[in-house]
Amino acid sequence: MNQQQWETLVAVIRGETLRPLPTAFIIDSPWLPNWAGHTILDYFTDERRFLEDNLKAIRAFPRALFLPGFWSEYGMCTEPSAFGSVSVWEPDEFPFAKKVLRSPAEVDHLEKPNPRKEGLLPFVIKRLQHLQAEIEGAGHQIRFAVARGPLNIATFLMGTTEFLTALKTDPERMHRLLEIATDYLVDWIAYQRECFPSIDGILLLDDIVGFVSPRDFETFGLPYLKRAFDTDVTVKFFHNDAPCKACAPLLPDAGINFLNFGVQHTLSDMRAWTGGKITLLGNLPPRDVLAAGTPADVERAVTEMLSAVEGHSRLIPSCGGGMPPGVTSANIEAFIATVDAVTG
Amino acid sequence: MSEFRDLRNAVVRGDVVAALAAVRKALEDGDDPLHIVSEGISPAMTTVGRLFEEGDCYVPELLMSARATKEVFAVLRPRLAQTGTKPVARVVLGTVQGDMHDIGKNLVGALLEGGGFEVIDLGVDVPPERFVAAVRERQPKILGLSALLTTTMTGMKTTLEALRGAGVREGVKVMIGGAPVTGGYSQAIGADGYADNAASAVDLARRLIGAEPPQTAEG
Repeated sequence: MNQQQWETLVAVIRGETLRPLPTAFIIDSPWLPNWAGHTILDYFTDERRFLEDNLKAIRAFPRALFLPGFWSEYGMCTEPSAFGSVSVWEPDEFPFAKKVLRSPAEVDHLEKPNPRKEGLLPFVIKRLQHLQAEIEGAGHQIRFAVARGPLNIATFLMGTTEFLTALKTDPERMHRLLEIATDYLVDWIAYQRECFPSIDGILLLDDIVGFVSPRDFETFGLPYLKRAFDTDVTVKFFHNDAPCKACAPLLPDAGINFLNFGVQHTLSDMRAWTGGKITLLGNLPPRDVLAAGTPADVERAVTEMLSAVEGHSRLIPSCGGGMPPGVTSANIEAFIATVDAVTG
Repeated sequence: MSEFRDLRNAVVRGDVVAALAAVRKALEDGDDPLHIVSEGISPAMTTVGRLFEEGDCYVPELLMSARATKEVFAVLRPRLAQTGTKPVARVVLGTVQGDMHDIGKNLVGALLEGGGFEVIDLGVDVPPERFVAAVRERQPKILGLSALLTTTMTGMKTTLEALRGAGVREGVKVMIGGAPVTGGYSQAIGADGYADNAASAVDLARRLIGAEPPQTAEG
């Protein structure tokens, strides 16, 4: 993200209504490598391709903000890898992390990893450090520390069914697990900031908060998210494209000021639930429209989405989730052009 | 619907201990195991599914109800076998190859079982050939395919192709579900149906085989 794009993002988060509105998308391995003509595994393992693919997208769509920008990631494997989780790689599939905890009792033996030395985390940092000069030479900077959220990490370690069940059957141990995950997360975010002083934002991704009740979110989600976001940065960006109604009213209490959510809710509902305190990034259907539709479908759906929401402050049009596989350049162009036309 | 009220309430609350106590009492009282399923468990899980669809029940609560159902069925299954009771239909479920997510599949499995279906769960990361073998050997009326990722949902298409290639596609209804899956995708790959949540998967399964809808646990 270049300086002007960053200032645009911050201006919207601070409440300025820009005309036209900026368009932004979360881009990462599900979309970018295939769009650029590579396999996902090549994208993960080849630093040059990682750099070139990101620059190619930025240059192809100079009007779009790509978030978090040069996202150094290994899919869902990054954070669990430091706990000893086996990462499974297919040539052109999203990798996955195998569970490391076979029962809630094993939490008693779980140790907080060291993000400087363990798992794939040093690789995440080194990839960016190796490319930092070129990224900055192209006019961009590393702006975000990025990580999966505490509940998400817990489910990678235990399994989703097991973790969500244990919230009811073994809540004390699940608090202990979330404490360890959050301590680790705090260290990991701090280390990213230490390595890249240009970082002035945090992006946490945690769909698991979408599965629990308001009471469980208050108990098992909010305290840990609050701690993870408790850092002096300008942008506190959260992604949850599972249902978001139960947690939405409490997200401002976690310090979050920027939210990407799914297609289950409208922009107007989300604005009401969050009290208008959070800038919304969303929420065109990513797969049914942005990936599967034609440019005309995208134009129609973006127009409807923007017409349905009253006032365009604290709003950045995007899709409801990250950019999904298979989105064409023509559909992205149609999205940006429609936002320009409707909000210009 | 006062009969089996304790059992139904325990299943809806996800209270395993109370559910087991209620089912054991019902058996001691001489109640027919099939009657316990049709009037106790099935309406309870229908209620849980409805509460979930309406946003009044969340995944952990649903999992607890599923757990209670599973424990109760472990008690009832031998009795049902003794009486020669047949399930509504046999369903084979699995998460497609490359995908380790089990939450959706597990919820669907629990609700189907609560609805009187026999469920054979193949687990996660299931290759097409295992689905083919299960259809051939277990002869289910329904095959349920789950995927959570856009990058793995293509495994559904591959599995359907494998079923066709093996000549077993015609004998089984295939339903699909999972976060990235849509009705359009279901049609495009030639599945028989798509459900956008666990509760509607049970309705879909019933529709696919022409079974009667169950009653709910109100009252």
